[in-house]
Amino acid sequence: MKRDAIDRLLQLAYLEGAVRTRNAYERAALKRKPSVAVSEEKRLALQRKLEQAMGNQAVTEVRALTIGALLRRIRAEQSLRPPEVFSRLGLSSNHYQLLERDRISPPKISVDVWRRMRTLLNIPVEEFSEMVRRTHQLVFFRPAFRTTLARYDGKKNKAMKASTLEKATAELYAKAKLELPVDEKAKIEKLLKSIAAG
Amino acid sequence: MARIANRQVVQELKEGNRSGCAHLVGIYQGMLVNEAVTVFNLVQEDAEELVSDVLLTVVQRIHDFEFKKGDADFHAWVMTIFKNRVRDLARHQSLSEAVVQRFDERGDDGELSRSELEVIAAVVRQYQDSLRGDPQDNDVAGARLRIVAETLENMESWERVLLRCRALDVPYEDIASYTGKSVKQLKVYHARVKKKFVAMLTKGHPGLVEQLTERK
Repeated sequence: MKRDAIDRLLQLAYLEGAVRTRNAYERAALKRKPSVAVSEEKRLALQRKLEQAMGNQAVTEVRALTIGALLRRIRAEQSLRPPEVFSRLGLSSNHYQLLERDRISPPKISVDVWRRMRTLLNIPVEEFSEMVRRTHQLVFFRPAFRTTLARYDGKKNKAMKASTLEKATAELYAKAKLELPVDEKAKIEKLLKSIAAG
Repeated sequence: MARIANRQVVQELKEGNRSGCAHLVGIYQGMLVNEAVTVFNLVQEDAEELVSDVLLTVVQRIHDFEFKKGDADFHAWVMTIFKNRVRDLARHQSLSEAVVQRFDERGDDGELSRSELEVIAAVVRQYQDSLRGDPQDNDVAGARLRIVAETLENMESWERVLLRCRALDVPYEDIASYTGKSVKQLKVYHARVKKKFVAMLTKGHPGLVEQLTERK
């Protein structure tokens, strides 16, 4: 189709959300017969790339046994919205979002909330304690993660972004296995004892 | 390839089933590359890279996706990711001077006059200026190109639909069903409605072209 400056301007407005088509465009795209061919080789290459990404994701999910990862997984599985979870836990929206992204140190959240969470999710004490401990380690070592990520991010190739992030995450998790300083260790052990006592 | 139900593709992807990737690529790669090339005028190599990014995002975020209204939710979600990627690319390209020049030159059908092209180029220049603050700041996205939306609001409903939809290559037959006008009528009026749009844009914002001329 021939296109002029007005069409291109309207397209720009559509892309920026200033103009809407009430799904008319999306429906038309679905019905259109493609006039541009993509080679079989490229189709297979993309398929392999997606399968690899899917595999990496599965590895990350198994590895990510933190409270954040657990909450994200449960929410996805049960189609819950964040308010439905944080209201039951007695957490504020901000704290919950930080917790779900493993961005808040567990001792900063009250023991009552942890106990409520353990009861609600019905997780054995040992397993729950291990997850809290891991979350604490992850949060503690997160500044190092940023440095690692910045180092990987030096590669500007867009296609490598996903694998780059994966490598950085793997490094973070490797770092999270390191021993915590004594005072940090004491803090988390005190919290875990209080949770178990409830 | 026979059409696979969206729910099946989503389920396969969520379960980590590799055939989900094959189905996703089978349904969307060709379609999105075609859209990127024919509707948004991307070079095929760029289009293929962009679509690869879009489908990678779909696979990585599939666990965040839920059907809410019906089967079409998945298509709408994929198209939103695609639209956002094309928008990011458009923003990136808009930061270069070449884009304003492109809007300032004659269109493919050559029906626009020099003064009309200058008005369009002036709007694009404003958009470009707004991007210079922070290209990724979506909060100001609504404000960008508001001038276009305001002008469209002052037109008749069927004219608005015709302009918006034809810019995105929606077939006349579909537009006819949305507007109640005949295909023939729409084809005849399309060029006139475009002229009317530019005239309203110019009339409603008389300082536009002067600003651009001063900058030049």
